[in-house]
Amino acid sequence: MQSNQSKEKASKAKGKENQAKASSRSGKQKKKNLEIKRMASSSSSGLTFKLHPLVIVNISDHYTRVKSQLNPPPLTSTSATVNGVENQQQAPRVYGCVMGVQRGRTVEIFNSFELLYDPSTHSLDRPFLKKKQELYKKVFPHFYILGWYSTGSDAQESDMHIHRALMDINESPLYVLLNPAINPAQKDLPVTIYESELHVIDGIPQLIFVRSSYTIETVEAERISVDHVAHLKPSDGGSAATQLAAHLTGIHSAIKMLNSRIRVLHHYLVGMQKGDIPCENSLLRQVSSLLRRLPAIESEKFQDDFLMEYNDTLLITYLAMFTNCSSTMNELVDKFNTAYDRHSRRGGRTAFI
Amino acid sequence: MDIEQKQAELIDHFVKKASAQVGSAIGAVIVEATSHASLFAFSEILAVPTVAELEGTENSVYLEVLRVFAHGTWSDYKSNSGSLPQLLPDQVLKLKQLTVLTLAETNKVLPYDQLMLELDVTNVRELEDFIINECIYAGIVRGKLDQLRRCFEVQFAAGRDLRPGQLGSMIQTLSNWLGTSDNLLISIQEKIKWADTMSELDKKQRKEVEDKVEEVKKSVAVKKLHTVSRPTLTFEGLKRSTLNLVE
Repeated sequence: MQSNQSKEKASKAKGKENQAKASSRSGKQKKKNLEIKRMASSSSSGLTFKLHPLVIVNISDHYTRVKSQLNPPPLTSTSATVNGVENQQQAPRVYGCVMGVQRGRTVEIFNSFELLYDPSTHSLDRPFLKKKQELYKKVFPHFYILGWYSTGSDAQESDMHIHRALMDINESPLYVLLNPAINPAQKDLPVTIYESELHVIDGIPQLIFVRSSYTIETVEAERISVDHVAHLKPSDGGSAATQLAAHLTGIHSAIKMLNSRIRVLHHYLVGMQKGDIPCENSLLRQVSSLLRRLPAIESEKFQDDFLMEYNDTLLITYLAMFTNCSSTMNELVDKFNTAYDRHSRRGGRTAFI
Repeated sequence: MDIEQKQAELIDHFVKKASAQVGSAIGAVIVEATSHASLFAFSEILAVPTVAELEGTENSVYLEVLRVFAHGTWSDYKSNSGSLPQLLPDQVLKLKQLTVLTLAETNKVLPYDQLMLELDVTNVRELEDFIINECIYAGIVRGKLDQLRRCFEVQFAAGRDLRPGQLGSMIQTLSNWLGTSDNLLISIQEKIKWADTMSELDKKQRKEVEDKVEEVKKSVAVKKLHTVSRPTLTFEGLKRSTLNLVE
């Protein structure tokens, strides 16, 4: 289940940009059981958020681990190791901290770590947080605690307490919410980032959660691992045809991208030739040097090697087919013999072959 | 491309200088530009109007020199050396580097003999030193020197200034490349479709066989064991593993 979930998340996290959904929920729904969900449509602080896939994978991993540890159900009634409230509809909430760098108006969330939630005081484990912060400071001196994360489908009132508690570390912490429900119809990532803003509602200034948009930003190492996880899908499914189709589709999209770029270059040069675009010599030089690299491989030796390998592959496929055929034939003969041997005399009607 | 980036500032600098001066002073600018260690692009300077004005005056030799540096090779210079001024050693070096670039334009594999001929170098050691120190370390070419077969395999060569006619051939090459990649895309799509249809057929066949097996099992359960219906089953089974090479 863990690999499934992270595959799901990772395949969506392949460089997709998430646009802020205009929330239709206005902030004025008051319910009698005091579970007030207040969210504005979009953040007005003007900060741009960049989220790294590592954070998403961390949160998903944490949640999956906790959830799978819950089955079988815990023997003790107070399982303090389990984060969050006791199984609310079998969905434990996990909590943790996110950290990153803030440069000007851009907030980049790099990493996260887990925290224990104390249900009695409704707060996160502060001494541990402090210790972890010090340790991280030694390795990543630029990272700051930017906020905290949790899982669930929506931000809740109790989250505001935790949010307020973190305000002493960071004046405006972030709340990253991951929705662990797998919804195949949903195209975007189930991750939302909330900021807190002071809004005046009914004459009372209150802190409410405001949803913000974010983009996914990857470092090379993250891209490789996300790519790797995303490619795990075919081996699950996989007959030879689907694997082949998946592989070919990958190549197809790569060549398509190359094709579009060459097309752009072509248009540009044609435009330059017609005179629509002023000649830019430096670009022309680069293009000419690029074109000189073609054809990339065209020596006789390459053709020989290529054909040899091709023939080898065909031969081996042929051989495998042969073996298959002969073994099936063998089975057939055995069955035939078994079916007809009973009526033959001893030493008489011999076997089929 | 890093070479272009390195040259961009130099080109700006020289263009400004050239447009600021007139007449014989431009000659000095040209000499300076052609002997500069990292400058390989001269068409911008050629395009400056004050430089073009040199045509026909007594300083037109400098214009000729600039043209040779932009488009010509060392052998061009040697054959015209009567009409062109003496070159400084730096300029000679530069021109030889540009010659290597021109040679790399046509072939990817440059035999040592041809290189030695073009560059006026007599022994292999000097040639290799020249290529390694002046060309590869300068970053204008990248490649492998094959001593056994006495050739230089070029993997990358920086671009020289374009002659007017070359633009057409570049566009031609690009459209060929486009055509090839389009064809490749189509054939990949066909392969994917083929793989899918083949797997569909395969599944259908398996299903048919299994259905038949079920049928026969039922009929066998009703009749006695003397009925000869077994061979058809295994014959179908044979069909499953026949070759399916569609090449």
